[in-house]
Amino acid sequence: MGQDFAASRDIGHTVRRGLVRIAEAVEAEAASVFLSDDETGEIVCHACAGPVDISGLRLPAGTGIVGKTIAEGRARLVRDVRRNPDFQEAVDARTGFVTRSILCAPMTAAGRCLGAIEVVNKRAGRLFGAADSRLLEALGASAALAVSHARLTAAMIKQEAVRRELELAAEIQRGMLPPNLDDVPLWGINLPARAVSGDFFDILPLGGGKFAFSIGDVSGKGINAALLMAKTSSLFRCLAKTMESPGRLLAAVNAELCETGMMGMFVTMAAGVFDQASGTVLLASAGHEPAVVHRAGAGGFEVLPPHAPPLGIAADLIGPAVPEDRLALGDGCLYLFTDGLTECALGDGGMLGSDGVRDLIERYADLQPAQRVAALAARVSRPDAAVRDDLTLLLVGHRAR
Amino acid sequence: MNVTTTRTDRHAVVALQGEVDLQTSPQVRKELLQCLGEAFHVFVDLAGVTYIDSSGVASLVEAFQLARKNGTRFALVGVSDAALRVLQLARLDRVFAIFPSLDDAIAAGR
Repeated sequence: MGQDFAASRDIGHTVRRGLVRIAEAVEAEAASVFLSDDETGEIVCHACAGPVDISGLRLPAGTGIVGKTIAEGRARLVRDVRRNPDFQEAVDARTGFVTRSILCAPMTAAGRCLGAIEVVNKRAGRLFGAADSRLLEALGASAALAVSHARLTAAMIKQEAVRRELELAAEIQRGMLPPNLDDVPLWGINLPARAVSGDFFDILPLGGGKFAFSIGDVSGKGINAALLMAKTSSLFRCLAKTMESPGRLLAAVNAELCETGMMGMFVTMAAGVFDQASGTVLLASAGHEPAVVHRAGAGGFEVLPPHAPPLGIAADLIGPAVPEDRLALGDGCLYLFTDGLTECALGDGGMLGSDGVRDLIERYADLQPAQRVAALAARVSRPDAAVRDDLTLLLVGHRAR
Repeated sequence: MNVTTTRTDRHAVVALQGEVDLQTSPQVRKELLQCLGEAFHVFVDLAGVTYIDSSGVASLVEAFQLARKNGTRFALVGVSDAALRVLQLARLDRVFAIFPSLDDAIAAGR
C-alpha cells in the first residue's frame, strides 16, 4: 500500500485505490482523505471509500476531528463521536450515514502536514485500537510522501513545458540570424546568456557587392526582450531591401517601435551599408556601443560613437534620419558589438571595458573571421570572466587571408 | 544600493546610491512609478550612483515615458560621473532633462 503511494504520480486514482485497502486493513466501514487547500485555507475531501460519497466536501481549517488532526499534526482516536465536541454532526445529517467512532492520522511530509486520513466505524461494532492507529499513522506518512512527490512532479512537468516552449522560441530566433558565408566580407556571432536572446545582428546582400548590416541590443532579458528583438530585426530586414540610407532606416524603425511601444523597453542599434568594391561603409548608430575600426600597423583605432539615442523611447527623439558616418575602411575592419563584450566581468571584479576590447581586437586581428569572433567570444566566457549578458559581435570588411 | 525618497507638497526626490543593476533596478522602477503615480514632479538624484547598467537605464527610461504621457515633470539631478558616462555613451543625455543640482531643477520649473 505504501508502495502504491510512493510510486504514484496520479494522486486521485491511487488515493482512491489505497483507501479501499486501508478500510479493509483496519476493518473500517468508511475511509477518506482530506488535504489542505493552500489557496483557500480550507480542508477538502479528495477521496473516500464507503457507503456515502463525501468527496469535494470542504471544511474551514481546524474544523472537525480531521481538521484538529491536521492542525495539530498528530493522530486522534475518538471511540464515541457523540461525546466529542469537535465532531461535525452536520455531515452525517446531510448524508444519512451514522458515525460512531473515528480514527484519524495526519499526512506529514518534510515536517509539513498536508492533510489527514480518516477511517470511520470499525466493523461488527468493535472499536479501533492502538494497532489500528499505528498502521494508519504509517500509511498517513506514506500518503503524504506520495502527495508531495506528485506535487513536485507536477511542478517539474510544468517547468519542462516552459523549457520546451523556450527552446522552440530559441530555435525560431536562431533562424532569424543570417548564415555566415566564406565569400561574404561580414561575419557575426550571437551568444545568448539564456535560452533566448535580446541581441541580434543581420547581414543582407544587396547585390553589386553591397551588403546591408545591423546589430542591436534590446534592453532587458528574457522572452519580452526576445520578442522585441524579433520585431526589430524583422523591421530591419524588411526596410533594408528598399532603403539605402541606414540613418533613415533607423528613424523608420524608431517610428514603428514607438507606435506600438512597450514602456521601459528600448533598442540600441547600429545599421550600415558596406560597399565591398570601394571599401566604404555608411554607418548610423542609435545609442549603440561605439563601433571600432581597426587598421593594421600605424592605422590604429578609430572609435565611432552613436549620434542619436536608442530607438523605441519616443518618436520625436529621432528626426527624419539618424546622422551617418561615412568611413573608408581601406585595409581595416569595422567591429560592432553589444555591451555583453565591454561589460563582461573580469576575475578582478572589473570589466573588460573599451580599452580591453581594443587590446583583444589587436591581439586577434590576424585570425580568420570565424576564428577571430570565436577568440573574442571565448575571452569573455573564460573562467576569469563570467558571461553575464547576451553577446553579439559583427565584423564588417574583414579580409579573409 | 539605497533608494531614499523625500517628498514635499510639490515634488518627490528619489535619491539612488550605489550600484543600479539587474538585481536592484526593479526596486528603482517600483519607487519611480509609484512617485509618478502620485502626480508629483519627480527628480532622481544620481549623485551617489557608482554604477548603472542597461536595466537601471531602462527604469529611468520607463519613468521618463510615463512622465511624458502623464504630463509630469521628470528630471535627473546631480548625476555622478559614472552615471553620466553611461548616459552620454548612449546619447541618453539628450533624452533626459539633466540638472547639476536639485535647486537648479526646481528653479528651471518655475
